[in-house]
Amino acid sequence: MAESIEPIIISVNGTERRLAVERSRSLLSVLRIELGLTGTKYGCGAGQCGACTALLEGRPVRACVTPVSHADGRAVLTIEGLAEEETLHPVQEAFLEAQAFQCGYCTPGMTMEAVALIWQKPRPSELEIREAMSGHLCRCGTYARIIKAIHLAADKMQR
Amino acid sequence: MRAGRRCREAGADGPELTRREFLRAAGGLVVAVSLWPETSAVSAAAAGEDRAGWLRVGEDGRVTVFGPIPEVGQGLRTELAQLAAEELRVPLSSVDVILGDTERVPPDGGICAGSAISAIGPEVRRAAAEAREALAAAAAAQWRVRPEQVQLSEGRAVLISDEGTSLPIGDLARAAARMRRRGRAAVLTPPAEFRVAGRPVPSVDGRSYVTGAAKYTADIRPQGLAFAKVLRPPDLGGRLLSAQARAAASQPGVIAVVEEEDLIGVVASRPEAAERAALGIQASWQEGPPVSGFSLYQDLRASAELESELGSRGDVEAALAAARHGYSASYRTPFLAHAPIEPHAALAMPEDGRMVVHASTQRPFQHRAAVARALGLPEGRVRVVCPAVGGAFGGKDSPEVSAQAARLAQALGRPVLLAQSREEELTRNYFGPAAVIDVRCGVAPDDRIAAWDCDVFNCGSRGALAPYAFENHRVRVHACKSPLPQGPWRGMGAPASAFAREVHLDHVASQLGADPIALRLRHLDDAPRLARVVRSAAERYGWRDRRPPTGLGSGFACAVDAGSSAAVIADVEVERTSGYLRVRRVLVAQDSGLVVNPDNMRNVIEGAVVMGLGFTLREAVRYQQGRILTRSFASYAIPTFYDAPAVDIVLQSDPDRPPQGGGTAALCAIAPAVANAVFDAIGTRLRELPLSPARVRSAP
Repeated sequence: MAESIEPIIISVNGTERRLAVERSRSLLSVLRIELGLTGTKYGCGAGQCGACTALLEGRPVRACVTPVSHADGRAVLTIEGLAEEETLHPVQEAFLEAQAFQCGYCTPGMTMEAVALIWQKPRPSELEIREAMSGHLCRCGTYARIIKAIHLAADKMQR
Repeated sequence: MRAGRRCREAGADGPELTRREFLRAAGGLVVAVSLWPETSAVSAAAAGEDRAGWLRVGEDGRVTVFGPIPEVGQGLRTELAQLAAEELRVPLSSVDVILGDTERVPPDGGICAGSAISAIGPEVRRAAAEAREALAAAAAAQWRVRPEQVQLSEGRAVLISDEGTSLPIGDLARAAARMRRRGRAAVLTPPAEFRVAGRPVPSVDGRSYVTGAAKYTADIRPQGLAFAKVLRPPDLGGRLLSAQARAAASQPGVIAVVEEEDLIGVVASRPEAAERAALGIQASWQEGPPVSGFSLYQDLRASAELESELGSRGDVEAALAAARHGYSASYRTPFLAHAPIEPHAALAMPEDGRMVVHASTQRPFQHRAAVARALGLPEGRVRVVCPAVGGAFGGKDSPEVSAQAARLAQALGRPVLLAQSREEELTRNYFGPAAVIDVRCGVAPDDRIAAWDCDVFNCGSRGALAPYAFENHRVRVHACKSPLPQGPWRGMGAPASAFAREVHLDHVASQLGADPIALRLRHLDDAPRLARVVRSAAERYGWRDRRPPTGLGSGFACAVDAGSSAAVIADVEVERTSGYLRVRRVLVAQDSGLVVNPDNMRNVIEGAVVMGLGFTLREAVRYQQGRILTRSFASYAIPTFYDAPAVDIVLQSDPDRPPQGGGTAALCAIAPAVANAVFDAIGTRLRELPLSPARVRSAP
């Protein structure tokens, strides 16, 4: 059954978007299909791998299990909105410095979670990093590099 | 399909070069080489319409490298760019690398993604050296000097005696393409003089990964794109008997329902609409076999047929009978899923009687053949392109998704994306083969291993032959009837064979009261590279003087795979009562020939350690009554952030040997090193993977 459609208004990466979409649709699908923001990835559709992580009001959410209606009237930040023009966010820089990726598919989700973590805990310990990142999977196995990148990013953001 | 057949193993010295020539192409110098030996089926294709160059120097001075295998995270794009930049003396930023586009790259010759650098790297390097010499000769002709008086530097040809005289290589490309070949092969740059290769340069793809700009198959958005869902049979079932699909066509968002023989696909304007409509279709299927995993290993053994006997040496039976001690045991490893985070996806776009398919695969040419077959088109009218690929691990060979997407796109006459769900990814693909491996070992009075007899069931021949110089040595490889569809998995059968061999050697050493490393070194006369990494691992670790505290064990294992040799020592904490293992530290010493990018090599080895720990500790495909039970990341648990141990890597570069794939040798040695560490800690010998808490607890 088609649901009644009233527009949903979301600030996406700082731009207000009015979206005529079903309220039950996943935020991931709306980002990827309606807005063409394909940096946020599908990995499992069940919130078990973290590839779809975006920030909703600064908090990490699994966009694949978040109905788009949850974002109504709120601000969403995706990987595309992290850098300012050509200037990368310190977390992105740190991932590059540590070469904390192989195939790159999980990288956007990892990056967004790491940004939120450092906002919340400017100096996370290694254990805190493992805990905060534990919902993210990297089949290439670059975990140790991601931990290193997050330490590096925390250093950069202190400065 | 039997495991071990799909992937041609590049020899340690790389494939033989058979032909090289310049192609006169519009817009620059193209160096074409025929990579594959004349005996391979691909060389015929290489000589025909498919022939493509390995490297082009454009009139704009940009260098383009063409490679048949896509980037799947192994770092191939960056390493090829490094080799080309090195030999052509251009900055890395002047090099573009086109990978896995059937219209633009040479055929793949069946090589593995993981060891692609060993096959492609030397060819790109030679092609770049040829181009360098041709460009220098072109400049020399223009300046009326001898070619030796010209050198290339920073993208320019420079007159050595007068550095003010120079030309950009782009200006010379056209003239270089007309240069007559010299009678000899181009001179390669000695690795000692490398300035770009051999260095830890950052990935050329890195920025696109951290910004989300990298385009994977499902990220491409052509005009008019529609999204498809295909009806899938029960997990192990087969033929469609009947379906009531018409009602689905009137569901909201649905564009069309395609019914073609075995294919029922719903195509919609949004993926959810396709999924919802597909779910509503009532279909009946011929049920598949009600297989269950309880008797897997007995069933494999019972269905076995001798496939091949490898490297027989001496008289194994006689030596076993004459041995002073005999040790026999059987080892088991389960089915594994590849579980890349990017599930299979294919985007098919019909274009004027042709079909262009973007596919998440490691085998674009195989996909092209399958799509052409499915559509009844000649292969020349099908193009398969690999965009960024989100991991493969041997699991992205099968062209089924590509062929289905292409059939739907052809039926509708518009672009169609077919992307698998996680559940489909974990249940519809082939699996890494389960294995049973029997080992019988006879020890002579001088404590040398006199006889080694090994029977490998179901996982193929790769890595089955021990690298040790056993006087009497026999390996029999048996093909079995597999209850699940199976195919390549990173390293093919080598990790399973290494598990059996290296745990068994540890067992023999402990029975003899010998040091496990010393015992191996006594038998490594024929494998000097392996012996070298074994020694350096022992030395770095301080193996001789080790004194692990209670509850902590250290285990050793080593392996040779895909031209690389690796020795691994794992420190493992064992909680006896819970059976819980924690791998605290892993040391890897590895020789992979010429290391093109040491940081990438370390990254790949670290990743191999983590992936290896997955099947060491937890991973196993479970199935019952014809149904796969491990259908999500909750039930098929791959390694997480909690599993990543400290990894210490000793890289032994051997610049005189071509680069070798570095992602499997350590992978092979992880599971046995951990199992041997468990024995070291608590005296329990585990011979079946995964080393789950229940197994650790209940072992004698």
